Amino acid sequence: MALQVNVNDILSQLYHNRSTVEFLFANRENITVNELLAKGDLSDEQYQRMKSLDLVYEYENIVSLNDAVVAMFEDFMEIGEVTPGVINDAINELKRNIHFYQEVHEHRFLRSIKKYLKKISVALTREIIKLQKNVDDTYKNEANYRIKLQKLENYREKRDTIIDFIHKTEKTIDETRQLFTFTNDTELYGIVNALKSTLIENLDYLIEIQTNITDYINKIQFQLDVYVKAQRLKEIKDHGTLHYRTNFTEVLKTINTLRYNNVKGPRTKISVDFLFTDDGHLLCKRVAEKYKLARLMMRGVAGKLPGNFKEQLIDQQIKLDTEKLVERFLTQTKHNLFEYLMDYKFPKAVGNVTFEDRLSLFVEIAMEYQNDLEFKYRLNYYDYEDNQQRKKRLGYTIILPNKQEKKSKKAA
Amino acid sequence: MTAEDFALPRQTHDIFAIMARGHFISSNGTKDNMSRLYDIINQEENFPRLQAYFNVIKYNIERGNNYFYFSRINEGNSLIEKKLETFERYIDVIDLFASMDNKITIGSRFRPAEIAEECNANVRLKQKLQKIPMYRSETMLNKVRDICDLMARDSYLELEDENTESYKVLDSYNYLMDVINAISIYEESTGTDSNSSGIIYN
Repeated sequence: MALQVNVNDILSQLYHNRSTVEFLFANRENITVNELLAKGDLSDEQYQRMKSLDLVYEYENIVSLNDAVVAMFEDFMEIGEVTPGVINDAINELKRNIHFYQEVHEHRFLRSIKKYLKKISVALTREIIKLQKNVDDTYKNEANYRIKLQKLENYREKRDTIIDFIHKTEKTIDETRQLFTFTNDTELYGIVNALKSTLIENLDYLIEIQTNITDYINKIQFQLDVYVKAQRLKEIKDHGTLHYRTNFTEVLKTINTLRYNNVKGPRTKISVDFLFTDDGHLLCKRVAEKYKLARLMMRGVAGKLPGNFKEQLIDQQIKLDTEKLVERFLTQTKHNLFEYLMDYKFPKAVGNVTFEDRLSLFVEIAMEYQNDLEFKYRLNYYDYEDNQQRKKRLGYTIILPNKQEKKSKKAA
Repeated sequence: MTAEDFALPRQTHDIFAIMARGHFISSNGTKDNMSRLYDIINQEENFPRLQAYFNVIKYNIERGNNYFYFSRINEGNSLIEKKLETFERYIDVIDLFASMDNKITIGSRFRPAEIAEECNANVRLKQKLQKIPMYRSETMLNKVRDICDLMARDSYLELEDENTESYKVLDSYNYLMDVINAISIYEESTGTDSNSSGIIYN
């Protein structure tokens, strides 16, 4: 550092210009001084102050945060690139500090040892996660197979390096176990234990990764081999010797996939009932159009149901009931047909049956069941009030059940 | 007896509808819920049930590397000529795919126009393409399109985006790889046989 600074100074500067720091941290590359100042968060004076504290560097008009600051953030948030070098450095530092501590049992060395032990544990895990992600990504997304293969091979090497580190760390811990027990420091004990379990866990992950890599490489290699073979086969085929120089025919004879054994998908006949539905009609129409048949075009699709189709259903119900109604009428002798209908209590489900409805029912029955009825050809009169409350009189024929027919039926 | 009595998955009908047409169900397919169907067949408890169920009607589910298909049990191999013809054409197509700069393998995406373009620039590829027997394909692009369409109909490819005409190679492509690998070329069988010995074909 160029100037004598303290923690307070740095923190307050970082806090004061936090938007700038955030911006620079997010855009680590290619931010010019002018761009930064044009953002308006930072005055020229503030910028000079940060520069004097070495919080930012300026090189050929491009601004960047101090690497130490960036590293601090990255370490704290556990992001950023971890390279095997970092782990290696940590291990070397650890060894160095252990050595110091063995010479002089001073607390400051112990603190460093703890620091590096923690660092190794975190870095190893992150490195492995990264490796796994990279392997997966490469296999699934790398379009060029040659680069894919090379990348996977590189990852394999990287994995070996990490395994090497794990063994190194394990060895170092084992060697200094006595020393660690000697310190009687519970925190150190906890850290070492955690590290040990992490190491074992990580080894398992690495084995898994190794299987993945091998598997992926094999698959790619297999595809490539087959491609080479396909080209070779094609060559043979072009020479016209495919059936003689290879066991092509034999192999194909053993293929029993559905598609290549002339097995057609199951075909079902259309049900005749379906053809009578509207959907079926559409189908028929399409076929008719195809074969230019005019006859089938006659029947149209049924029109849309009117909104009040429910009421119409009730009408129909009355009609359906007429037969029963007539039967009942025939069995009694007290009333003539008109009186009977006027007094008849229709079931509730039918709803309110008006005078007009009863009248039309009378006419209907008179016309449809004339054979069962006896027409007297005499008029009776019926008084009633119409909608406008006027008095009206209606003349009607007396119709009685046909007794003779009943008798003849009984006689028969 | 209903489908529930066999404790079959709900999608049994869909599975049958696809596979009975001779199509493959691939793990990386997207049409017709393909990947979902694959997972369902692949489930440990489902597979034996489906297998037993379909065996009743003499269909056998065959498992490949990330794909499934039907074969018929006890079936005589009829129409060998047709089969030979089909596979000879596959050799042509795979040879073309294998000779591209950017080799088309499982999972890759491509557009017919790309292939046609590359064929245009490369005499060897152009010749290969021209020699593939396809009817009614005048221009090179149309021919490539026809080939892709043919492969898509056999469910080796999938038309991923109709607007951009982008195809994706499905896992069932492995099937063709396996068949090709199973063929041994006489006189030099030592090199290739070692590769093929570990894989079981049907």
